[in-house]
Amino acid sequence: MEDNLTSITLGHALLFTVIIPAIAGLVLFALPKKSNRIKDILTIAITVLSCFAAFKLYASVQQAVLVGYCSIILQPFKAWFQIPAECAQYLTLNVDAMARLIILLVAGFSLLISIYATGYHHAEKKPKHFHSLLLLTLAASSAAIFADNLMVLIVFWGFLGFTLYAMLSPDDEQSSAAAKKTLILIGASDGLMILGIAIIGKIAGTFSMALLDLSTTNALTVIAFLCLAIGAFTKAGAFPFHTWIPDYTQTATAPASAYLPAALDKLLGIYFLTRICHDVFQISGGIRLTILCLGALTIIIAVMMALIQHNYKRLLGYHAVSQVGYMITGIGLGSVLGIAGGLFHMINNAVYKSGLFLAAGCVKSATGKDDLEELGGLSKAMPVTFICSLIFALSISGVPPLNGFASKWMIYQGIIDLGKGTGPENHLWMVWLAMAVIGSALTLASFVKFISGIFLGRQKPALGTIQEVNPLMWAPMLLLALICIGFGTFATNWVIPSMLEPITGNIHYSGLWNSSLITLLIGISLLLGILFYVIATSGKLRVAESFIGGETNRDETGFEPVSFYETIRNSLLFKPFYAWAEKKYFDVYELSKKLVLDVSDLFSKAHTGILSNLAFWVLAGLIFMFLFLLL
Amino acid sequence: MYKLIPLPVILPLVAAFLIAIVGKRFKRLAKILSVLVFLSTAVLSYWYMVAGNQETMLYKIGGWEPINDIPIGVYMLLDPFSGFMLCIINTIALLSTVYSVNYITKFTGVNYFYTLLSIMVAGLNGVVLAGDLFNLYVFLEITVISSYALVAFGTDKEELEASLKYQVLGGIATSLILFSIGMIYWYTKTLNMMDITRVLHASGDVKLIQFCQLMLIAGFGLKAAIMPFHGWLPDAHSSAPSPISAMLSGVVIKAAGLYVIFRLFFNMFELNFEISVLITAIGTLSMVVGVFLAIGQWDLKRLLAYHSISQMGYVIIGVGMGMIILSRQGSLAAASLAITGGLFHLVNHAVFKGLLFLNAGAIEYRLGTRDLKKMGGLAEKMPLTAATSLGASMAISGIPPFNGFFSKLIIIIAAIQARFYILAALAVLVSIITLASFMKFQRYAFFNGKISASRVNISEVPPFMAFSMTIMALLCLALSLLLIPDLREHVLQPAVDILTGRNAYFINLLNK
Repeated sequence: MEDNLTSITLGHALLFTVIIPAIAGLVLFALPKKSNRIKDILTIAITVLSCFAAFKLYASVQQAVLVGYCSIILQPFKAWFQIPAECAQYLTLNVDAMARLIILLVAGFSLLISIYATGYHHAEKKPKHFHSLLLLTLAASSAAIFADNLMVLIVFWGFLGFTLYAMLSPDDEQSSAAAKKTLILIGASDGLMILGIAIIGKIAGTFSMALLDLSTTNALTVIAFLCLAIGAFTKAGAFPFHTWIPDYTQTATAPASAYLPAALDKLLGIYFLTRICHDVFQISGGIRLTILCLGALTIIIAVMMALIQHNYKRLLGYHAVSQVGYMITGIGLGSVLGIAGGLFHMINNAVYKSGLFLAAGCVKSATGKDDLEELGGLSKAMPVTFICSLIFALSISGVPPLNGFASKWMIYQGIIDLGKGTGPENHLWMVWLAMAVIGSALTLASFVKFISGIFLGRQKPALGTIQEVNPLMWAPMLLLALICIGFGTFATNWVIPSMLEPITGNIHYSGLWNSSLITLLIGISLLLGILFYVIATSGKLRVAESFIGGETNRDETGFEPVSFYETIRNSLLFKPFYAWAEKKYFDVYELSKKLVLDVSDLFSKAHTGILSNLAFWVLAGLIFMFLFLLL
Repeated sequence: MYKLIPLPVILPLVAAFLIAIVGKRFKRLAKILSVLVFLSTAVLSYWYMVAGNQETMLYKIGGWEPINDIPIGVYMLLDPFSGFMLCIINTIALLSTVYSVNYITKFTGVNYFYTLLSIMVAGLNGVVLAGDLFNLYVFLEITVISSYALVAFGTDKEELEASLKYQVLGGIATSLILFSIGMIYWYTKTLNMMDITRVLHASGDVKLIQFCQLMLIAGFGLKAAIMPFHGWLPDAHSSAPSPISAMLSGVVIKAAGLYVIFRLFFNMFELNFEISVLITAIGTLSMVVGVFLAIGQWDLKRLLAYHSISQMGYVIIGVGMGMIILSRQGSLAAASLAITGGLFHLVNHAVFKGLLFLNAGAIEYRLGTRDLKKMGGLAEKMPLTAATSLGASMAISGIPPFNGFFSKLIIIIAAIQARFYILAALAVLVSIITLASFMKFQRYAFFNGKISASRVNISEVPPFMAFSMTIMALLCLALSLLLIPDLREHVLQPAVDILTGRNAYFINLLNK
């Protein structure tokens, strides 16, 4: 009876998260442009349904259901449709605790973004066919996560690259360049994944992830692992394959940025990385070291780039990269604490990063400006956006008691635990810890720039009157902000035990940590602080002019948060690196592009199109073939 | 069905002569007749694929029965492999012809166009149906001579130059082919392919035959435009009118080049390890060098033409790996997987490359340029062209769920299974560069800024062109379904079985 119930729930989940969104996506694609209102309502209705079904699946089973069959969905049609025996291996589903959690998150973000997009569409040009792309993305992501067979996974995974490209909906020069770069990088990583999957099939004789357990001892297995890891890294956006993310977020509209690079791509990339690191392969110390190195580099390099950005969407894009470093470090640690920390950070990051992009979209649609220099002082005009952004910013910077702190804290603890081991990666634990902590501090530094640049200071007269965005836009953002607080406050009491421990097993912390108690203490101290402030300022007050370095106070005098960060760019230590980065010397895409075009030039030089040359080639080819056969 | 075998050759020939003779008196005859004829040949070939169990049929022209088991008449051979090719040829021909209804209005001499196109299709159908080497040669010449004329159809300086190159190089290929056919005839005393197989099988390995094989590779390799015999292709395919480019790239290089190579080397000759390696090697060379040449191009049709070279490389490595495995007495399943990948890519390429040339034609029809740098912002003005070309670009770059993804996937898996690791890695690399160059096409043609002021009035292409492009785009998606076991066993597997049947298939055919 229990089994039957579970399979019905699974069938429903499959129906509502994969099949119906896919069909609806295709139908909406065909509907004319004018029926936007209908599209909005339909999209929200379907995402609500898929959320509900995903939640039921998530809540229904306590123990991990490992493998189910797609055929359950066809049970009612058994009489008409028979699945061929050789297809059965492709139709197995993997519905363990991690998959169920990720599907729930995917469905949840789809719902939030579709609500946000409903409000957004009046403000700015929305990507063409946004609704149908959103639904197709939902379907493909869920299917990729449900899939147990690597072949099935790569089909849906590859399709996500296409929706990512289409959602950017390029028009001008900059965005079409970004779209091109995005799909080339994503497509290249998918190609490598196919190679890796094919090698796995050759070594193990099966594509089923549940059956695979390979140890990375010989070269071929290592190559297969690296190919798959590159796929996961590119999707999530880790160094050195991250370069599409800043370009994408800079040019894409807010719903697209918040949906794919900020939320779903992270979920999928880290999900797949966890799968390959812990289910498909047993990774060796050397690979662990590589992963940790890349994780640490990702944290630092991306955050350093974020510091010098002027465009706030690009700034957020670099942070979307930097945070991946933490997740990869966590997953790469391999300990229960590390994996739990990595996964928790993945969830938290998806929440606040998606929220930040939504906030950026609100700012953009209210002001139409892209640069931090042109903004400022919006806190009064847009209070909800301001408060939400502040929460997100504190959370991403790892300020307790918010959720970003909780997951970073777990990763730090995991790194300290790593120091107990004996391998080279264990001895370097101080390095990983230092990188992670410095990264966190720099994140805070660049979010000071973000918050103060947009919301604080004096409002620029050029902006005119600014109004808060409509509730359809701020409601999803507010919800995400509440989740940030909730997940942070109840991290140890509720979130980790109920969401993460079913995946990783019981977690032992190295020190005492009770998130609610901490929240309570922080709350009390904040209250006391406010109390003192109120008491101290309630009496006599003296108003005096501010000291501004001896200058006279003029209208244009102001604290420019952006120019403050120029000192970092121009400092002796970093100046050459920033210069190289701006020349794209660190960009895999640009480097390989140059290489390919050079080779192309070389070959083109030989193609003069002179007839006698062409005839000569034919004869040369013939002679070569004769020689080959003779020798 | 048996009696209908010559029809795919006869019908287009009849149409060609009718159009040439009475086309001037009946204004719309050319268009209507050629569409109808290709429709009927296409339906005939589908019927063969769908109805019954696709048995192999030998049509003896004039009813000349063999004497003492020695065939004396001219035979036509219809088996699943030629049926598979017939489907591709006639489908692309039909869609190109429908497309031409609007497109050709910018040329004069419409009747000549349809006459030449019909002759070309008759030749192609003849090549895949031919049961003896001499008729194969004749039909091949019919095809290429009409395509020389069609390449020069615009009669501009560039087109004439391209046609001249094509003719000179085609002439070299023809002489190589004819010479080796002569040698084979001298050695075996017969021209019938099955009979030749029987004689060769009895005589064992002969150096003379290997010599002929190399010349045939060079000759048909030139028709198939594999490196280093590809020199004519970029000029010819980019200068021809777009529906003809679609035919040339989509069909002619396959039917007149690859089909014959596969047919002769699998079924007629004894499979030979060195020759198999050689074929795979030139396939790899085409695949890699072709894509590097393509990505640097700014002329849209030239870019597509170089990609044809590269994509033919995929087909050849797929089938070539099968050849190597079979000649080493390796596992039949691995060989069959590799050949399936190759043939699947062949049909996929016909569709998406055909579509891409039609898209290029649509852009040229409205803008009058093939230079990518002079395009931009077309996505708003020509949404259908943009959408269909996006589909085709995704298909050729191997993005799921489009058909190209699945055929490349099969080829890569087959390569890994047979331990051709380098080949698999190269296939992935080429696929990535292909993606990059089609992203370039998408970016510069359809996005990249607003449309210039002089072009604000352009609109979507006329209905017939739009119809062809839509059907082909849908085919790009629908062909993915060939992977479903039931369909695969009906469409691809019989053709693959013909090839893996090796020369025993031809020997048994005659004894039947």
